[in-house]
Amino acid sequence: MSTRGPAPAGAPQVKSLNCPGCGASLTVRSFGNAITVICSSCHSVLDAQDPKLKILQKFRVAANEDPPLIPLGVRGSIRGVVYEVIGFQRRTIHVEDIAYSWHEYVLFNPVKGFRYLTEYDGHWNDVSILRSLPELSAGGASLKYLGETYRHFQKADAATTFVLGEFPWQVRVGETVSVSDYVSPPRVISSEGTGKEVTWSMGEYVGGRDIWKAFKLQGDPPTPIGVYENQPSSLSADVRSVWVLMGVFLILLLSLAVGVYWMESDEQVFEQMFEFNTNAKGEASFVTNVFQLKGRTADVELTTKANVDNNWIYLNFALIDQDTGHAYNFGREISYYHGYDSDGSWTEGSTSNTVTVPSVPAGNYYLRIEPESDSDHGLIRYSVTVNRDVPQASFFGIAVLALLIPAGLITWRSLNFEHLRWAESDYGSAPNDGSLLSTVESITDSFKGSSGDDE
Amino acid sequence: MIRSVFLIYGLAVLGAVSFAEYRGWSLNRVDQMLNVPRSIRDNPGSYRSVYGYYHHYTGGK
Repeated sequence: MSTRGPAPAGAPQVKSLNCPGCGASLTVRSFGNAITVICSSCHSVLDAQDPKLKILQKFRVAANEDPPLIPLGVRGSIRGVVYEVIGFQRRTIHVEDIAYSWHEYVLFNPVKGFRYLTEYDGHWNDVSILRSLPELSAGGASLKYLGETYRHFQKADAATTFVLGEFPWQVRVGETVSVSDYVSPPRVISSEGTGKEVTWSMGEYVGGRDIWKAFKLQGDPPTPIGVYENQPSSLSADVRSVWVLMGVFLILLLSLAVGVYWMESDEQVFEQMFEFNTNAKGEASFVTNVFQLKGRTADVELTTKANVDNNWIYLNFALIDQDTGHAYNFGREISYYHGYDSDGSWTEGSTSNTVTVPSVPAGNYYLRIEPESDSDHGLIRYSVTVNRDVPQASFFGIAVLALLIPAGLITWRSLNFEHLRWAESDYGSAPNDGSLLSTVESITDSFKGSSGDDE
Repeated sequence: MIRSVFLIYGLAVLGAVSFAEYRGWSLNRVDQMLNVPRSIRDNPGSYRSVYGYYHHYTGGK
């Protein structure tokens, strides 16, 4: 196992040579550092360490081979250091007989040495070779590097399927190495090698626009497709703080409710019993005595209780300001039915009803009441109670929902992002690392699993 | 960004609840009528609210 990267390069040397295979001119940008160089005309892999550029391999290229998105020879600044793109390769893995390919760009700076960019479906990583070994856990499910834990994501055999430019290693088309990725977004640690020789590298997710800006490329970078293994989620960091805020808001809401129930008077301003003779003919409507509503504009709660039994009564109410003639009209039905059938006993309705009249200013008010019911039901007794400035619990319920819904949506979106990420891994779902998100996802998965078992 | 938006949103929700409670809002629908004549007290039958012709449920199971 090794963490050795290429040795830092010396002074920049650009040399023009000719391919021994086809005679085409070759430009070697990292002369003295490159191990292999590829002729772009005849696609011969040449030994760059050999003065005669011995041909190591010749490979066929498909006619529709895509050129590199960043052309060889282009320079760009990464972390304040100017690098030149000197090599390009495509690597391919096969999962369930489906080929997945990504591209790797070899970057070179005469002082800093080599660096790499990888691109898969519009997702970019800035990659450098690790200088110290990470600590692998027993079983290889995770590793630790510089105090950070990386979870194993995927293992596959990757074959080099296309090469161009210069490489600081003995590159061959068709060469296969075993690669393993461990992720801790936005970083990924990868091991690759054959047998005992393993190289460790660390990649950090970079936006395509940042790459385009760094290399001053024309046009737009390819749009990223899907969620990449170490792509950071803009929501994950927010989920915890949103739920912390949610807890703070719920405490504030509870305090507000206590304050409202303490401050609002809930004063009973009117109460009276009435009778309605359903057998009587003639006008049923009547008005009550005047009662006073004090204080600021506030709600008025009117509660009606009636001794209906397999019967109903409908009451047309008008709360009228005696001085201004401002009337609030509303009707309430009280119906209560019960019985017994093949399903057992049943009840329907209630003998009481409450309605809240909103925003009623202070003043002297009376009620006009007009009762209705089926005739020949005898005497229905009912009471009317009026309370002033009554707290409305429904608003607190709506507020809790209004806070829960966006917090839930943010959590769901974040969970969905992680689900999409891990769906591409060897495991299909995220392992539980004890975090809020992974715990919720584990619970969700267990529900899915148990419902699947039931089927 | 989302934290800030949620903070502002949550404060707005709390503010809306406080305002609704202070102003005595309600979820019940109530129709209002202006300038009801004082004679209603003497002749309640002359007043007909919009609920006067409500179709009542008279059923049961």
